[in-house]
Amino acid sequence: MIKTVTLPLAAALLAIAVAAPQAAQEDPWWDPDEGRTFPAQLEYANANGTLRLLLEDGPMETEGHPFFTSKGPDGRACVTCHQPADAMSLSIESIQRQWERRGAKDPLFAASDGSNCPSLPQGERASHSLLLDHGLIRIARPWPGKDYEGKPLKPDFTIEVVRDPSTCNLDKRYGLNSDEPHISVFRRPRPVANFKYIEAMGFAYDPKAGMPLTVDPETGKPVSGNLMADGRVLSLTAQMRDAASAHLGFLDELDAKDMERILDFERRIYVAQQRDAKGGDVDAAGALGGPMTLMTSRAGLLGSDGGMPVWAEFEAWEKMSDAEKAKLPKDVLEFRESVARGARAFREKTFLISDTSGINTPIGFGNPVRNSCVFCHNMSHMGMDVAPGQVDLGTTNMPFADPAPHLPLFRITCTGKPHPHYGRTILTHDPGYALTTGRCSDVGRITLQTMRGLSARAPYFSNGSAKDLRAVVDYYDRRYTIGYTEQEKTDLVNLMRAL
Amino acid sequence: MLRAIILGASAFATTATATAQEINFIACPVYRDTNNGRKSGCWLTSDPASGTRYDVTAAPTKADWNKAILVEGFAAPDEGNPCGATVMQPVRVSILELPCTRHMLPAEGYEGRRFSLPTRNVRPLYEDRKRPEKPYAKGRFTIPFDFDKTFITYQISDYYLDATINYALDIQPALVEITGHAQTTPRTISGETITEPAEIAQERADVVRRALIMRGVPEKNIRITAARPGAAPYVMEPFDGLKSPLERRVDIRITPQ
Repeated sequence: MIKTVTLPLAAALLAIAVAAPQAAQEDPWWDPDEGRTFPAQLEYANANGTLRLLLEDGPMETEGHPFFTSKGPDGRACVTCHQPADAMSLSIESIQRQWERRGAKDPLFAASDGSNCPSLPQGERASHSLLLDHGLIRIARPWPGKDYEGKPLKPDFTIEVVRDPSTCNLDKRYGLNSDEPHISVFRRPRPVANFKYIEAMGFAYDPKAGMPLTVDPETGKPVSGNLMADGRVLSLTAQMRDAASAHLGFLDELDAKDMERILDFERRIYVAQQRDAKGGDVDAAGALGGPMTLMTSRAGLLGSDGGMPVWAEFEAWEKMSDAEKAKLPKDVLEFRESVARGARAFREKTFLISDTSGINTPIGFGNPVRNSCVFCHNMSHMGMDVAPGQVDLGTTNMPFADPAPHLPLFRITCTGKPHPHYGRTILTHDPGYALTTGRCSDVGRITLQTMRGLSARAPYFSNGSAKDLRAVVDYYDRRYTIGYTEQEKTDLVNLMRAL
Repeated sequence: MLRAIILGASAFATTATATAQEINFIACPVYRDTNNGRKSGCWLTSDPASGTRYDVTAAPTKADWNKAILVEGFAAPDEGNPCGATVMQPVRVSILELPCTRHMLPAEGYEGRRFSLPTRNVRPLYEDRKRPEKPYAKGRFTIPFDFDKTFITYQISDYYLDATINYALDIQPALVEITGHAQTTPRTISGETITEPAEIAQERADVVRRALIMRGVPEKNIRITAARPGAAPYVMEPFDGLKSPLERRVDIRITPQ
């Protein structure tokens, strides 16, 4: 059941129908400055099936469009790291293909952030190992940084480098002890799509902060707080400026018209898996998977309070009659039933959540608290958090993080109150939100991601620590001692590959 | 004529009787995992003075199994025995910075409580909200706080904060006067002498002031005023008949202009 629809479905379907669907025969990699037309509908094959992108009110010429046009000295554009075939993110498969094609000359491998550190010899593969082997872009945060109003942070913790295979945190020019101290963390690029949901504000408050939603000083208006892994920007325009200087090497800021055009594109693009290699179309037989539902539904609704229950898009596959089942090939039926079971497990399989900042503290839910995946992944259609979603799953913090000898390791020492769960000292690969707030209690809190187009953009988690969807489920199973059965794990993987 | 807006005192019936004895103690909590759906677990703790085990799950703030809690509430033996202890209701739990050994009990046949949305919950922005009608009345609101905390707790403080802010926004222009309070008289509970620092009253008022401004109430219309010693809360309803938490609050008076 979809309760609210913002765009008449029939009109949207008509708009798509009149624009010839483009099953991309062309190179799936979009180089900057190609000047292709971005069609109203675009599809790309991936290992699990077919991804579909919808451009609302499309098509759009990309020639000269600032999202697709290189401007800086590296020859990069936004599209370099936000590839349509990779659900507007960047898959490790694409990264490795570009290295095979062009090696370090491809703009993707720019020294600034496409290598482990700019001071390393850029022609060597080893200098790009974090991007090539783990899909990670270098994010250099000034330390201590500034708050949203531009005032210097007064952190209640210190950072030491325990080890740094990237070399950048100990680098004389780029490291923590350089003239311009920076901390380098390594993260996956986030999908640039489905922003109607990412920007949506379901409630006026952030329960994790016990305060109203943060107000953007530029506009004086509240924001969703769901941009970027560490929440370092409040708006898409601020994100553009951040990316332009940090990733694209622009000497000057984007001008207002450029930003307006990028914003227009970003708010029109929707992406989701459309067809599964085993189960067929994800909007078949009454199901509502795929990007059309995203484009035509209202955003920001809580699945448990006024919105469609999370992943109830597949409810129809749970309720198929025997006659309907009999018409389907065995493989297709099994897959669809598995997806429906996965959706139900996602909502209903509860487990004890403990020692997780952003959930167990400081809100008052209790430590531990029993709940299911939708406790946090609670937004209808998108599976992100309706509230600002900075949560410490432990993916970057010891003792919960998986071994990651390729990543830097930092020792955080809380100088004020100890961390509510880790105590005075924390070992982390990425302090996450704490780099934005300067608060020890925020170490390792990472903004929840959207869950669409997952089949096109492995690896997962902000630090790429889950190489595939099974690894995501296995991580949660270990972290929270859930005790998923093999069937439940398979069902959850099938659900996620269909999103 | 100015009328007073006071959040409906009858909206939340309590099980406390006028003669009931309020029970206060400090102890370590124990979690019982009843595994009966989301948020179904029980929080149990024993009064060190009597050894009686109580079920304090009904408190808006749930316990942390690593830390001691201050319990303030009434025993409610008529509320059944879903968790294996005497139910306290109404009850407040404040998490203290005193370490505890974590301990979890299995269900042992107890079903806990199936989750239902508490009455005090902030409604989403996508839901229509009833606005006050003219002529606007003077509004009085009270926001409760946990012991030694300035945090706006979920599904209690936020509910009253939201009501305050919505009213302030709806009847602009209006003067908003905020008064913070603290529990500065030392109390000895379970052998611990506890008191709040006087400055937490100002900090609580500042939190509420900041929240009002963030939601769009003009800064120039907000004043922080000094607390009068011994003054009663503007609204008693957030405390559900409990006396111990009364001094941990912020009072807000909103006067249409």
